Amino acid sequence: MPTDILVLLPVLVPPTAAAVAVLLRSHRRVQAAWAFGAMLTSFVCSSLLLWTVWSNGRPIVYQLGNWPAPFGISLVGDLLSATMAVMCQLVLAGGFLYALGCRDQCVQYPAFYPLFLMLATGLTGAMLTGDLFNLFVFAELLVFSGAALTAVSDDKFGTEAAYKYFYISFVASVALLLASGSLYVSYGTLNLADLAQRIAADPSPPLVLPAMVLLIIFFMVKGAVMPFHFWQPDFHTAAPTPVHAVLSSVVVKLGIYGFLRMTTLLFVEQAESIRAVLVVVGAVGVWFGGLGAVGTYDAKRMLAYSTLGQLGFILVAIGWGTPLALAAAIVYAFNHSLLKAAMLMLAGSVASRAPVKTAAFAAITGLGKKLPLAGVLFLLGGMGLAGIPPLNGFVGKLMLFSSGVEAQAYLPLAAIGLAGIVTLVYVFRAFQHIWWAPLPEEVKPKPYGDRLIAPALLIALSLALGIWAEPLVNLAQATVAWMMTPESYLRAVLGG
Amino acid sequence: MDVLLALTISAVFAIGVFQLLRRNLIRSVIGLSIVSNAINLFLLAAGAYRGEVAAYANAVGQRSDALPQALILTAIVISMGGFAMVLSMLYVLSVRYKTSDSDEVKGLTH
Repeated sequence: MPTDILVLLPVLVPPTAAAVAVLLRSHRRVQAAWAFGAMLTSFVCSSLLLWTVWSNGRPIVYQLGNWPAPFGISLVGDLLSATMAVMCQLVLAGGFLYALGCRDQCVQYPAFYPLFLMLATGLTGAMLTGDLFNLFVFAELLVFSGAALTAVSDDKFGTEAAYKYFYISFVASVALLLASGSLYVSYGTLNLADLAQRIAADPSPPLVLPAMVLLIIFFMVKGAVMPFHFWQPDFHTAAPTPVHAVLSSVVVKLGIYGFLRMTTLLFVEQAESIRAVLVVVGAVGVWFGGLGAVGTYDAKRMLAYSTLGQLGFILVAIGWGTPLALAAAIVYAFNHSLLKAAMLMLAGSVASRAPVKTAAFAAITGLGKKLPLAGVLFLLGGMGLAGIPPLNGFVGKLMLFSSGVEAQAYLPLAAIGLAGIVTLVYVFRAFQHIWWAPLPEEVKPKPYGDRLIAPALLIALSLALGIWAEPLVNLAQATVAWMMTPESYLRAVLGG
Repeated sequence: MDVLLALTISAVFAIGVFQLLRRNLIRSVIGLSIVSNAINLFLLAAGAYRGEVAAYANAVGQRSDALPQALILTAIVISMGGFAMVLSMLYVLSVRYKTSDSDEVKGLTH
């Protein structure tokens, strides 16, 4: 088997399986088993891709339709995109597992699993593509399926949340389209590698700066970064649990991926100004998200604000831009995906036991008395988010802070270091509400709720990665070494 | 011709942004569609002056750049799907909230 097909498979398997799954709509169990099998297959394919790329030591490129690089669309699996693809597929498979054991009405809809697979396609494709316009197409696929999955939510405000999400993402996509148009006018190409080469050779065209700003806006909206976050907390309050567990953990990583690519491939010369912006929005986001999470009335909303804060840490690391800081950003992003998905699933599982499904603290106070396992997992996940050993969150935070000391950026370091304490405050506030407070007499919780297998697996994985962190740290450091030498990426895509 | 096209695109874009910022949800969706059409025009302008002959294999003279047209086609199809979806969700919202004022659609804010 030629190895370059490995880049294609994670993007090809889910949509094909989704089309077949629509045909299987009248057989619920067959459809679920088929779609879950496809999800696992595509996860195995992306892991194989990562393994092959790492052991070969050079990027794998698939030229669609055999059109040579700057003219056709290339799918590029270098270490960064392969790592991100594996992370996404892992959490997507976890979300799918949760959906299988979920008691929501909406997972019974015949289009739920096909849409979930299309979400996987859009996300993985956006990470693996090497073409700016193709990124737009995949990002749209992602937003369409995400919004449709939210609009069918059991929550009566699902449509409102989906409308806000879709509308704002659509405006962001318009910005991306404008950016790709501007870059095409300036350089006559949309291939990322070709663009990188040409921007480095001649950064003078007047439309480069607007394109850069529009790309930053696009990735900030995708990543729900502080000034463009407003759709996110509302969205998470109303979306179905398996959907927002995926959206809050890995879909926001599209923004992180975009910033990593922008600062190390596309705009290497201009990276300093992008980094300066990222440090500021990151540090502000850490505080804004942390304090927002402390002040919420709803467990899911709290975790959504917490995502804003945690992404702030990653953005500050990208903003420092040293090799150690970038490695810390990748490790932190990986950990945050696992932990945040697990925490949202646990909150959703508790909410599914409430008499009327909701995650508002007023309604779920004391519900945890019947769910000791979920309590243990929630406590572990919260410790991971706050960066307490033995979970992998500690490794990420340690790398982040030591890179800050190394970069001698003491002011942002002090700002985000203090904000780390806020994480503990909101996590334990939620824990107290759900597991310590007594169950009110008149509340009759449902005897059955969503299964805990998916969050248990994710937390177990983060625990394992916290105790044996070496492979992930090595992978992140190798990825950063690749990112620091974009020449190998350019050579792999453009040939020569 | 360049200047005229640039002025037209900027006028369409400005109208679209103005409508996009209105409080009325229906107006803001119409504004979004105007903005996305302005951007399609911008993409068209990106390739409009790079040759006059259609890009057939046996064409004589400087061939036009077909890529912006392909980009516009894709963008049009995607935005059509997007507006179908936005409008369908807007319909559900207008039935549920009995209003098209964006300040009144606030079920999730406390």
